[in-house]
Amino acid sequence: MKVRKIVTIVEEITSEGGREVSPPARVAIVAAVIENPWKGQGFVEDLAPGIEATASDVGALLAPAVLEALDAPAQAYGKAAIVGLNGEIEHGSALIHTLKFGDHFRKAANATTLLPAVEKRGPAGVAFDIPLKHITDATIRSHHQSIEVRIADAPHPDELVIALAAASQGRPQQRLADLSTEQ
Amino acid sequence: MQSSPVVRPDFTAAGLRKVVVYREEVLTENGGRPERPAQRATVAAVIRNPWLGTGPTQDLSAATVAVAPQLARLLTDKLIDALGGVERIEAFGKAAIVGTGGEIEHGGALIHTPYFGNLMREFLGGESIICFADARAEAGETLVVPMWHKSQAATRSHYQTVTARISDGPRADEIVIIAAASTGPRPHARIGDRKTDPTVRAEDLERVLA
Repeated sequence: MKVRKIVTIVEEITSEGGREVSPPARVAIVAAVIENPWKGQGFVEDLAPGIEATASDVGALLAPAVLEALDAPAQAYGKAAIVGLNGEIEHGSALIHTLKFGDHFRKAANATTLLPAVEKRGPAGVAFDIPLKHITDATIRSHHQSIEVRIADAPHPDELVIALAAASQGRPQQRLADLSTEQ
Repeated sequence: MQSSPVVRPDFTAAGLRKVVVYREEVLTENGGRPERPAQRATVAAVIRNPWLGTGPTQDLSAATVAVAPQLARLLTDKLIDALGGVERIEAFGKAAIVGTGGEIEHGGALIHTPYFGNLMREFLGGESIICFADARAEAGETLVVPMWHKSQAATRSHYQTVTARISDGPRADEIVIIAAASTGPRPHARIGDRKTDPTVRAEDLERVLA
């Protein structure tokens, strides 16, 4: 795995809707800008060797880093794969839609649900929204949220941005009725 | 990137909506590992514009004295935390993005007076004037924040920038105040320095300029 840079973002919301958020709602993102493992190879039928070589390593890099950045127990989480313009969306999906990637985060966060994801292809500086859901029950409505990310000079055409996001709580000022109240 | 001590109670009263810490570390550049991989960071605070609705002759000093020192403390605390200690910080810069309901002067009041600048310099252990960028913009605008060496501003290897952006700020009635720092030079800095430069004058470069 060839890593060009690692970006860490922590957003802390202290007021929303004119009211204080206490404790502040924290969301952390850690993104690795890596070389596309299938760069320059044309259409590769079998992605398994590239997945085997990279998915677990990038998951192991990002999972502890995003939890350290959050500096609080994660209650919601999500993931992203942003593919440079020369690659296929399938390349990004290959690295994040495998247990080899996500299990690092699930294990470190004591989580059980599948990670919600965004997959997107775009130029360097493309903005993308990472969806997050509760780490043990994806139906918990208070924790459905997303966070917008932009890295000024990534991904280059032959790169991928692989990211994990974690939130310390649900949405600031969340006050929607629970899903069960409508069933 | 610790969570505390972050928000002081009077800050909520001053209209602090959110704080965003951004940090990047370049591990490889143009295929090679930098001799000194540097981390660059920005800390951005989104606050309510304290002068919203006031006219162009409004004295800005009272709110400046009240708000700017708190911003200097908050932003530098988080910068130092994000970059692993004040002694690791080698370059710095600052910036303001004013929402469309305010004046650039409002941003200037919060970053260009001693109530911010002197304190930021003191907290980050620097001596240089702090270079800056400012803009009036809609939410989500990117701003490239310049940085230079915190004690020897002419150190060319440390001329660098970092891009800051808040996806939903500043609103028209808000200001985003940004402090930026770096733990080292540009990756592969190799364009000399004042100490190694030849004397360059236009009259000596007639063939190039012709």
